[in-house]
Amino acid sequence: MKRFFTLLITLVLTVSLFASCGLRDDDKDADGKTVLKVAVLESAYGKKMWEDVAAAYEADHQDIKIELTAEKNLEDVIGSKMKSGDYPDVVHLATGREAGLTETMVRENSLADISDILDEKVFGEEKTVKEKLIDGFTDTAATHPYGDDKMYMAPMFYGPCGLFYNAALFAEKNWSLPTTWDEMWELGQKAEVENIALFTYPTAGYFDSLIYALLCETGGVDFYNDCMQYKEGVWDDKNAREALDIVARLASYTEPTTVANANNDNYLKNQQLVLDNKALFMPNGTWVSGEMADAPRAEGFKWGFMALPAIESDKDRYSYTYFEQIWVPENADHKDEAKDFIAYLYSDKAVKIFAESGAIQPIQGVSDMLEGENKLFYSIYDTGAKAVMGGFAATNPVEGVSMVDTLFGTVNSIVSGDKTVDEWQEAIGKASDSLRKALKK
Amino acid sequence: MRKHKGRRAFLSVCTVPALILFAVFMLYPTLNIFVISMYKWGGYSLNKEFVGFDNFVKLFSDAKFWQSFQNTVLLIVVVTVVTMTMALITAAILTREKLRFKGFFWVIFYIPNILSAVVIAAIFSAVYDPSRGLLNTLISFFTGGGTAPVLWLGDQKVVIYSIAIAMIWQAVGYYMVMYTAAMSSVPESMYEAASLEGAGRVRQFFTITIPLIWTNIRTTLTFFIISSINISFLLVRAMTSGGPDGSTEVFLSYMYKQAYTNSSYGYGMAIGVLVFLFSFALSGLVNLVTRRESIDL
Repeated sequence: MKRFFTLLITLVLTVSLFASCGLRDDDKDADGKTVLKVAVLESAYGKKMWEDVAAAYEADHQDIKIELTAEKNLEDVIGSKMKSGDYPDVVHLATGREAGLTETMVRENSLADISDILDEKVFGEEKTVKEKLIDGFTDTAATHPYGDDKMYMAPMFYGPCGLFYNAALFAEKNWSLPTTWDEMWELGQKAEVENIALFTYPTAGYFDSLIYALLCETGGVDFYNDCMQYKEGVWDDKNAREALDIVARLASYTEPTTVANANNDNYLKNQQLVLDNKALFMPNGTWVSGEMADAPRAEGFKWGFMALPAIESDKDRYSYTYFEQIWVPENADHKDEAKDFIAYLYSDKAVKIFAESGAIQPIQGVSDMLEGENKLFYSIYDTGAKAVMGGFAATNPVEGVSMVDTLFGTVNSIVSGDKTVDEWQEAIGKASDSLRKALKK
Repeated sequence: MRKHKGRRAFLSVCTVPALILFAVFMLYPTLNIFVISMYKWGGYSLNKEFVGFDNFVKLFSDAKFWQSFQNTVLLIVVVTVVTMTMALITAAILTREKLRFKGFFWVIFYIPNILSAVVIAAIFSAVYDPSRGLLNTLISFFTGGGTAPVLWLGDQKVVIYSIAIAMIWQAVGYYMVMYTAAMSSVPESMYEAASLEGAGRVRQFFTITIPLIWTNIRTTLTFFIISSINISFLLVRAMTSGGPDGSTEVFLSYMYKQAYTNSSYGYGMAIGVLVFLFSFALSGLVNLVTRRESIDL
């Protein structure tokens, strides 16, 4: 008898162990509502706006219940579930994160085609999503990763990237803002006399927006697109070399301690250099003013923001537009409801909720909603700068080859003098060659 | 006889849950890594493509992997030698010498060990800060401030040693406590006899202390080498993210980058397999070269 009980208890324990591992959520809740699983990255904008939007959506759609997951480490939370086959229905997570979840989904063809959102009428409004979006946001590699006419990621919060500076310092020293790179170098000499460095950068990763815009300036938009498509020999071109040379020249004007702090732990110290008037410019995005809101600063400090200087005075200036993406996994249970939810995010109601937290969507007329610093930041394209969007075309993963590390990460070695521009150019060419062979067809 | 049999059955039934847990959480994942390392797979989808040993072939010609390999080996060697030496010396001083505030020193030495890697990273970021950090301020105090600041986390020739220093600082205390415990069990009479024979303190340390705690040193050495691989990853991730430009990339940080950032999960697992084999081989080697006849008192 005793033995029987021992066996029984062992069995119960073992079975319950497995049972607890295997439990899955049902997709309808007790009231018979469809449960839509929405997973979003909790970024600097906070998670309240998402909770508010989810509540508004539920109020407008009585048959849907939103199960919201908003986490700073979203990849860790949903990643392991996805590995075991439990997919969220909607994911708001941009490319360019270290965990690379969105890139992996693109590379593995695991995103659902959500092109029909564009022609869907926005809830309670007359216009379709496409009519509401600002032109140009839905024809880039960041929404159409495979280069065809199918959209797999929808554009969400956007912001121009460029050079940030202390406007008050320029006024105080009576310096004018450089409009060409030659003027930039002259300014560098002037600032050096005053013991101010011309340039700093948070981490080498921030060179993405700078180099993308620079490639447009040296070779034009078509040349930039060729670079993004890994076209053969494109990095041997003189335009590519000119862009790399400008970065190398900027490197020589970089504040000497920058590279020691250019890591995820210490990058705020580099941003602080601009606030302390120890460096004039840094490449960054509109989120920086919020990120540094509580930091000490030089007296009278005032954020200034400009596009990259032009190659020559009669040439165009560019600013890269960064935007976050929202997508639906191919294996999601409720794809149609998910698309409907995404379309709802472009409604005036949702746009307003997001804008109140500083998250700006590329919607026609959004500039009327802006206040304070945001008004300055988002007016950059009204004052003559041209917008660059997108990024490198999607490829199958190539083991050991990373364009991000090669093109941007190497900047640290250029600044510290450990690598030459020739070595850099050669390495980029090699990486581009290996990735071209893996391009998604 | 019957009773004996029943007891055996009872014992085997008792071990079943543990065995199952071990199999599910240790054996299965480990074997799984070996299997996945033979696939080209991003990690999230169902598209797995069997590629045999392709990932390993690519690994051998991947310069960045070799750089991370070199960094790891360098860290293991430097950190192990320095930590073990310092831990042994401090332990000997604390057990053999008549010091005041012994308990205080123990606590001070041990504290770093209970701190998490993130806290250690934050402390060392402050120490290594190029303009206001403890180290550079100290240097400029002696040089008069005329020299350019040392970029502890920016200079590619220095940065790996900066990581090593943080690792040593973190580990010395723990091993010191382990050795102090071992050294306390060495009978006092042996030291007395030795000193009557005219052996000085250093001589006593090498001919009495070290041989008598040798088994202890051997065990901790193996532990330490394996844990160095893990700790180096934690510190590198928190302090430099593998930078500048890959100069502090170690085994596991490179594995993470490949498996996740570069969507090459299979390739990442191939690195995992090599790390597994490397740690195994290294432990075996250490065990072999440190084998001595044990001294029983």
